[in-house]
Amino acid sequence: MISRYEIGIVETRNVIKALLDTYDYDFRDYALTSLKRRLEDVITNNGLKDSEVLINRLQDNKVFFEQFLKDITPETTEMFRDPSLWRHLREDLILDVVKNTSKPKVWVAAFDSGEELFSLCILLKEMCLLDQFQIYASIFSDETLKKIQQGRIDVKQLEINEANYDRSNCISKYSEYHHIAPATGSLTLDTKLIKDVTFIKQNTLYNNAPGGIRLALFRNQIIYYNQILQDKTLNSIHNSLVAGGYLILGTKETLENTNANNKFTVINETEKIYKKKTG
Amino acid sequence: MYKAVIIGGSAGSFQVITRLLNSLPPNFPLPVLLSLHRLKHIRSGFVEALSIKSSIPVIEPYDKDQIKAGKAYLAPANYHMFIELGNRIALSTEGPVNHSRPSIDLSFITAAQVYREKLIGIILSGANKDGAFGIKKIKDYGGIVIVQDPAECQVKTMTEAALKLTKADYVMKTDEIIKFLQNLKI
Repeated sequence: MISRYEIGIVETRNVIKALLDTYDYDFRDYALTSLKRRLEDVITNNGLKDSEVLINRLQDNKVFFEQFLKDITPETTEMFRDPSLWRHLREDLILDVVKNTSKPKVWVAAFDSGEELFSLCILLKEMCLLDQFQIYASIFSDETLKKIQQGRIDVKQLEINEANYDRSNCISKYSEYHHIAPATGSLTLDTKLIKDVTFIKQNTLYNNAPGGIRLALFRNQIIYYNQILQDKTLNSIHNSLVAGGYLILGTKETLENTNANNKFTVINETEKIYKKKTG
Repeated sequence: MYKAVIIGGSAGSFQVITRLLNSLPPNFPLPVLLSLHRLKHIRSGFVEALSIKSSIPVIEPYDKDQIKAGKAYLAPANYHMFIELGNRIALSTEGPVNHSRPSIDLSFITAAQVYREKLIGIILSGANKDGAFGIKKIKDYGGIVIVQDPAECQVKTMTEAALKLTKADYVMKTDEIIKFLQNLKI
């Protein structure tokens, strides 16, 4: 941590501009502090001299850019983060969503590293409902997609993931869903779980968004946005949801600081579950 | 003169924090930011425990909440707490730093970048080195750095790591930190 590169605000803006001009990826309305930090990580971890070198590398090297997209996305979650939410989903919300609807659409509206998606699929499988849902998952970078499709999850997290799984009142054993290669120690999740998932490549969550959604898992995403992007994305998700559809935010995120506040009813304050108002 | 006080602590810091919060005047003129190691899967209880004896309100902020004087902001379980330009809280679920989320280093660094020389950073008892680099950053940006006297700490790893990296403005026992904050002229 000592020899960490420190990037200034002007430099950060230059990187953002280069990404927009070259690749049409728009980071202008990301929350500055955490974006700066991840840019510093990329610069430091790749042994680059400064942000100018980063910009040149991004512009000249598509492969590096793809890797950059993966690295710049916060690895948001653990498996079954916030077990009380997963308990609530199992005992209540999922049953409500599937009631009277054939093949309800669920959208993992998050650029995460796969944990949220796999947790959802495990939950539905244990409820014998996996084939009853149409699941969409947003994908920001091809590198992340590859990682998810191969079921590669950080093995360092195993203990946490297992504990979360148990606290979520799941009915099997977490070890049923993954395989650890004896030679390398690398961990892969059972990719059969996600075989029917539709992946949507998006450079923002508000472009190319799916419609007719009954439930959107949008947890711990707006923490990385400023107010403008929060409003824009929530507006789009609101449009994606059917009337009466559910939106779930992270436990420390709230609609109260956004324009979407009056378009939803709070269903569960602790787990941050909202319902789209009808009409 | 100052804009915020930020406090980091881990093992052995709970009683110190409780005493500090208890002894602040109710009209304390600065926000107090608390980045404390805590059990990640237990979301409730901690802020309530700190509130009982605190003379100022203790809040577990939501993302992008405005930071206000006279309130204490406790980093929520399993999130990093950053200070964002515009004097707001920004939360993050990025990976643990120094095995910690919240990481004291990250709270300190981001606070130093926003408040610069108008920040008072305090590091208390703890069992790892999280916070030491953050303390250095606060000092580099011209802020005031206070380290709890390791001789008084239940676990002194954290304060010793901070002192190794940075020349503190003050090394103080809890009583002295209390007096310092009570007599603060801003």
